[in-house]
Amino acid sequence: MFAYTFRRLLIAIPTLLVVIGVVYILLFSAPGGPFDAERVVPEAIQAQLMAKYHLDQPYWRQYLLYIAQLLQGDLGVSYRYADWSVNELVASALPVSLTIGGLAIALSLVIGVLLGALAALYRNSWMDYTVMALGSVGSVVPSFVLGPLLVLAFAIGLDWLPSGGWDDFSWQFMVLPVSLLTLINVSTLARIMRASMVEVMNSNYIRTARAKGLPMHLIVFRHALRPALLPVVTIMGPLAVSSITSALVTESIFSLPGLGILVVNGAANRDYTLVLGLVVLITALVVLVNLCVDLMYAFLDPRSRA
Amino acid sequence: MHTLQHTLRAASFCGLLAWLASSSLAAIVPAGVQLHPEQSLVRNNGSEPETLDPSLIESVGAANLIRDLFEGLTASNAQGQIVPGVAETWRQVDPLTWTFQLRPQAKWQNGDPVTAQDFVYAFRRLVDPKTGSKYARTFGDFFFNGKEVSTGQKPPQELGVRAIDKTTLEIKTSHPVKFLPELVSNPNLSPLHAKSIEQLGREWTKPGKLMGNGAYTLQSWQVNSKIVLAKNPVYWDADQVKIHRVTYLSVEDGHVDVKLFESGQNDWVYMLPPGTYASYLKKYPKDIRNTPLLALRYYDFQTQSPFFKDVRVRQALSMVLDRDILAQKVTADGQQPAYGLIVKGLQGADPLGYEWANWPMTKKVETAKALLAQAGVQPGAKFTFSYNTSEYHKKMAIFAASEWKTKLGLTVELEAMEFKVLIKKRHDGQFEMARDGWNSDYNDATSFVALVKCDSDQNHSRHCNPVAEQLIQKGLKENDQAQRKAALNEAIRLIMNDYPIIPLLQYSLPRLVKSYVGGYNTDNQMDRFRTQDLYIVKH
Repeated sequence: MFAYTFRRLLIAIPTLLVVIGVVYILLFSAPGGPFDAERVVPEAIQAQLMAKYHLDQPYWRQYLLYIAQLLQGDLGVSYRYADWSVNELVASALPVSLTIGGLAIALSLVIGVLLGALAALYRNSWMDYTVMALGSVGSVVPSFVLGPLLVLAFAIGLDWLPSGGWDDFSWQFMVLPVSLLTLINVSTLARIMRASMVEVMNSNYIRTARAKGLPMHLIVFRHALRPALLPVVTIMGPLAVSSITSALVTESIFSLPGLGILVVNGAANRDYTLVLGLVVLITALVVLVNLCVDLMYAFLDPRSRA
Repeated sequence: MHTLQHTLRAASFCGLLAWLASSSLAAIVPAGVQLHPEQSLVRNNGSEPETLDPSLIESVGAANLIRDLFEGLTASNAQGQIVPGVAETWRQVDPLTWTFQLRPQAKWQNGDPVTAQDFVYAFRRLVDPKTGSKYARTFGDFFFNGKEVSTGQKPPQELGVRAIDKTTLEIKTSHPVKFLPELVSNPNLSPLHAKSIEQLGREWTKPGKLMGNGAYTLQSWQVNSKIVLAKNPVYWDADQVKIHRVTYLSVEDGHVDVKLFESGQNDWVYMLPPGTYASYLKKYPKDIRNTPLLALRYYDFQTQSPFFKDVRVRQALSMVLDRDILAQKVTADGQQPAYGLIVKGLQGADPLGYEWANWPMTKKVETAKALLAQAGVQPGAKFTFSYNTSEYHKKMAIFAASEWKTKLGLTVELEAMEFKVLIKKRHDGQFEMARDGWNSDYNDATSFVALVKCDSDQNHSRHCNPVAEQLIQKGLKENDQAQRKAALNEAIRLIMNDYPIIPLLQYSLPRLVKSYVGGYNTDNQMDRFRTQDLYIVKH
């Protein structure tokens, strides 16, 4: 297990270098630069800015300079947020995104698995239909509709919660954004869990267990749940990453200072170092999450340990 | 002799005005108004500031913050009038020289006195190309040797500013600048505490480190969330500052901004989302504010492109665009039609429009068709219109395209693109017609003349009228304001008769501000509100 984990982490390094290279090419291919603005920057000043940020160097040298900096843990300075280094920006935004995304994923997992399992076990009952209907609503109604509806109901209508903003991890500011992300993720997870559970419950070994007279709760918890969770674990990887790093709509609706806004502002402003820094972070997160998913497989399915 | 008499009279008048206005200048609470015990304000700034370094700021949001954290020689109050800041008095000694007398009680946060040398340091730093300020030339060109310093031809020490003594600053200008007191109220021209910057480097703008001399100090800063300022107890006029704490939000989305307002978390919406003015006017009649800004919406012609090199084509398109419908039905947010370069309220030139502005539309269309025929442009001819992706600009573009199609038979290809891409296209001249807009940096016509001047980087239409250019240069050298205005008026008339741009609308700023926020004034056409001029009424 340790050797496997170490190998996977080693493979991540060339992956990261390739990803950075590709993003570099894409960033510099996009028209417009970080200092293009309505007010034309005078030539002498443009030259100073380009030299200050090494943008007057050949691309290959800029790439190597960036890698050298990265190896020292320095993600560079931001052009858009000129008073902050990329490290500082990530350090400020990551905890917010991790908290909101993490809570949403944890809740979605518990609720999604529970609802999906119940829907499968009580197939074609009112429970099943209700869960599937809720699941459809969550999948079909976009977050930029659901979010404002939540705000209208709970913040403006009932005045129970703030409509947005962030106040140093106060729970009141987390309820609505976590609820929105959870609603969206639960719909996906519940449907996958239901389908998976139905398939497992129809398998031969479950039929054998039933025939042998095992009580239902033992059949579900000891024999059915683990294999049924495998597709859920598969989808959890990308769902977790996107909930943490790409929850831009949620962050916009609730005015949260997370990673999503940094990603969009970075790209729109051609803030090369900020975008690259976030790419490094997201790539590392994807690698870690995928590793966790694979390790989870090994835990859930003894056959995959071979 | 004539010139000397004029100069002396003008200098005395300026000095008198300044002396009269030198008493306390913070929030003026009308008699009988009861203040709320909790004097704190939450206002949305529209976006995250790019920096809190006055030399490097560019955005409106950053300028709002600097206005609270620093105080320049002069300041702009809630009515948009220029009032003394660190300078108690000032006078124009001769057409090219001003002196500013600083108040001895002005202090930095750490108790150091604010001196004339702090302004010298700040102005040199702004204009020095090593600093990398995008406003180096905007303001630098007004100073003697400013253009030479900002282009690297001369060192910053040659800039026309010097400290005569600790409390007297002398500014030499490159040409007569009668509105210099207004110009130096700009946040980019705030004084700087040299020691802090030299010791702390890039870190000097952080909470706990930023050294300001304004009515507020920087308490906390969470990027993309909020910036909190607290009242500065050593500010020279602190006794008159009512609001103790102001929180600037960084919400970009107008709908989210309004939701925060409706849920009581925000007292001041930055700007209403497009298309919502009429409904919020009905819903919140006491809170709605709408100020005409010193700003212009317009379309650029690329006058060197084959389609638009003929002035008759440009005139035809400008004539038939119904600005009344554009203002009342398409944008419907209180903006006023514009038929000239100069907007209402701008000093230094008159808001003159075209003589055909009040013609019936049928006559305009007939004339326009004749012009197109003379220029050899047939119905069915096509050109491209570029704009940055936004529902608002798209709506306007679709309206304009339909006007040109239905009235002149021209086909317009609409090309939406990211804002950075549009900026590049405009600067490189790679467009036929493009959407544009301009917000005045200072209240003088020269801020807008820069859009159509021959050698200006902001002249996207690439049009040059040499006769007008000579008149502009003549006007800039004039110290007599009437002569200056006459020269600029004539220059603008000549340029606009070449139709380099289509002026469309004078921007307005519709927003919601809670009725208990006192001091807000819709006369403030540059939207410059210092928090120290505001107060919270009991509610």
